[in-house]
Amino acid sequence: MIVKVNNLVKRYKELIALDHFNMEVKEGEILGLLGPNGCGKTTAINCILSLLNFDKGEIEIFGEKMTPNSYNIKRDIGLVPQEVSVLHNLTVKENIDYFCGLYIEDKNLRKQYVEEAIEFVGLKDYIKFYPKKLSGGLKRRLNIACGIAHKPRLIFLDEPTVAVDAQSRNFILDGIKKLNQEGSTIIYTTHYLEEAEMLCKRIIIMDNGKNLVSGTNEELKAMITTTEKIVVGFSEIDNNKVKKLEDIPQVIDIEKRQDDYIIKFENGLNNLSNLLDFIKENNLTYTKLYSQLPTLNDVFLELTGKELRD
Amino acid sequence: MTVYKYFIKVALKNKGVILSYTILFFILSVINGSTNTQRETNFTESKLDIGIIDNSNSQLSRGLVNYLEKNNNIISTKSDEKYIKEQIFLQIADGVIVIPENFEDKVINKEKAVEIYKDDRKIETYQIQNQINKFILFANATYEDGKFKLWNVNDALDEKVDVNLVISDNNINQRINNWFKTYFNFTSYIILAIYISVIGFVMIEFTDEEIEKRRKISSIKFLKFNQQMYLGQLTIAGFQTLVFILGSIILKGKYIGEVDFFKYVFNTIVFSFSALCFVFLVNNITSNRFVISGISTVLSLGTSFISGVLVPQEILGEKVLTIAKFFPTYYFVKINETNIKSFLDVKYELFMQILFAMAFLLVGLYFSKAKQKQ
Repeated sequence: MIVKVNNLVKRYKELIALDHFNMEVKEGEILGLLGPNGCGKTTAINCILSLLNFDKGEIEIFGEKMTPNSYNIKRDIGLVPQEVSVLHNLTVKENIDYFCGLYIEDKNLRKQYVEEAIEFVGLKDYIKFYPKKLSGGLKRRLNIACGIAHKPRLIFLDEPTVAVDAQSRNFILDGIKKLNQEGSTIIYTTHYLEEAEMLCKRIIIMDNGKNLVSGTNEELKAMITTTEKIVVGFSEIDNNKVKKLEDIPQVIDIEKRQDDYIIKFENGLNNLSNLLDFIKENNLTYTKLYSQLPTLNDVFLELTGKELRD
Repeated sequence: MTVYKYFIKVALKNKGVILSYTILFFILSVINGSTNTQRETNFTESKLDIGIIDNSNSQLSRGLVNYLEKNNNIISTKSDEKYIKEQIFLQIADGVIVIPENFEDKVINKEKAVEIYKDDRKIETYQIQNQINKFILFANATYEDGKFKLWNVNDALDEKVDVNLVISDNNINQRINNWFKTYFNFTSYIILAIYISVIGFVMIEFTDEEIEKRRKISSIKFLKFNQQMYLGQLTIAGFQTLVFILGSIILKGKYIGEVDFFKYVFNTIVFSFSALCFVFLVNNITSNRFVISGISTVLSLGTSFISGVLVPQEILGEKVLTIAKFFPTYYFVKINETNIKSFLDVKYELFMQILFAMAFLLVGLYFSKAKQKQ
């Protein structure tokens, strides 16, 4: 295990930010830390990195106890904070050089690393720009470069795609995959489900400072009863027939969203054909009909009773 | 030395602030120098604007008033210390003389007979002192059988003397000394303003919460990081102080031998250290740009006003001076204003500046620790 967090408790007076939080990260994986805003993701990272004191628990990184003075451990850690954290009076290149310099003393090695980081985040054309002249997406890339230039083995990325355009987001996500392929272990916090599904080999879902569940994407989806959702838009349907929908075998729940009905099914082989039979028997016509597999949002919804992005 | 290198780089981004203060300072110094350090080559007694309050109204006091009237312009004044000081400050009067009720007794007993309000920085004030001393000396000499022989006094005072001004290179030129006093007094204002704003602004950037996060999880040791930060501050402060010291050499270098130049330099270095410690305190109290900007302006100007940089300490009220004593600027100015034989003469003022520096450091450290705990 590259990171081991055991029974972590962090309180802010009466508020329990982390409630016996546990986490294990294997070398070479991308672990997604998922949860709604305020669920304790950033607090957990800050505690793991010794940026915050905690009330109880044990944290080990690279097999050693993590403390504020664990400089040997810190040498191999990179952090990309949620906020763009750069010096506004330094250029792009100077910023990367400064933050890399907090780890790497050798001038030549640092020069090489800085060049590589600039190349990696695609900021070669902007090296003499000051951060305020960069777009939101480019600032995010600079933020990442400052956190990874020293080639850490373990990288913490705290919601690195917040408020960026689609193009920059894809660039960032591809970059994270590439970092992982190059051997870095990544802990990725987000409340964007699609990102977690796309990137992470393993996911921990947090809520109210606790880890609700953890596992691979598939393992998590297998934990819930809903295995299929069929979205159907009827041309016309009365309330009696809507009620009758519930009698279709394997139906768990029906939700009306605007003009569409989302019909949730338990695991079954004939869910779609059963629904089509019902439509035929009741002389109904439909404008759209498609099947969806459960998402992480369904996992979260079923576990907590609320939407992930509440 | 990456931290040091980038500290200096960010500090130099504030060169606008540094240059504007420095240029303003040198312009004022050049203007001051062009009027203040011309050597005396002749001597003429000029008529001064004097206010007189005669509380004695005796034969002797009237004699003194008549004598002063002959040689000066008498202007109206009020028996109100505040009003008198305002007249001196605004240069409406070169001096105001208050003659006490028991003036005659004081002259007879050879006590301090009159109260003179004057601006000690002005050479003209010595003329007032001289005229009064002369009158009292002669009056005292003519006192016999309980009476002053005023006609004898007037005769003696009317005697004319041919004056030959002997110019000696060994004499300390009062005006040059005054220029150095004014120049170095004024550096305290500029030093404090530049240190607080420039170093303060740089520190805001480096100690930003999110930037600090990155520093804290990095492998650079806290001590090493701080060493480089403080070295950066020391470099900026040292360079700025050196500019002002060199400035005095460039502007009035040929007169350095005539004044106690080392006193000014040493005092400026001690004050700079004290100011740097104050900046350390400010940086540990706030990281708000507007607050730092405010402190820089208000404190540098405020302490300059109350400590005698812009207005001589002699003119300032006791209450103001009492407040000024809580700031190192007061002691810095005091040393500049004192003619010393050795530094032992101003040991208390030097000690106070260093004491302030230590106090700023300790309180700053306290806030620094408190911040870290948070």
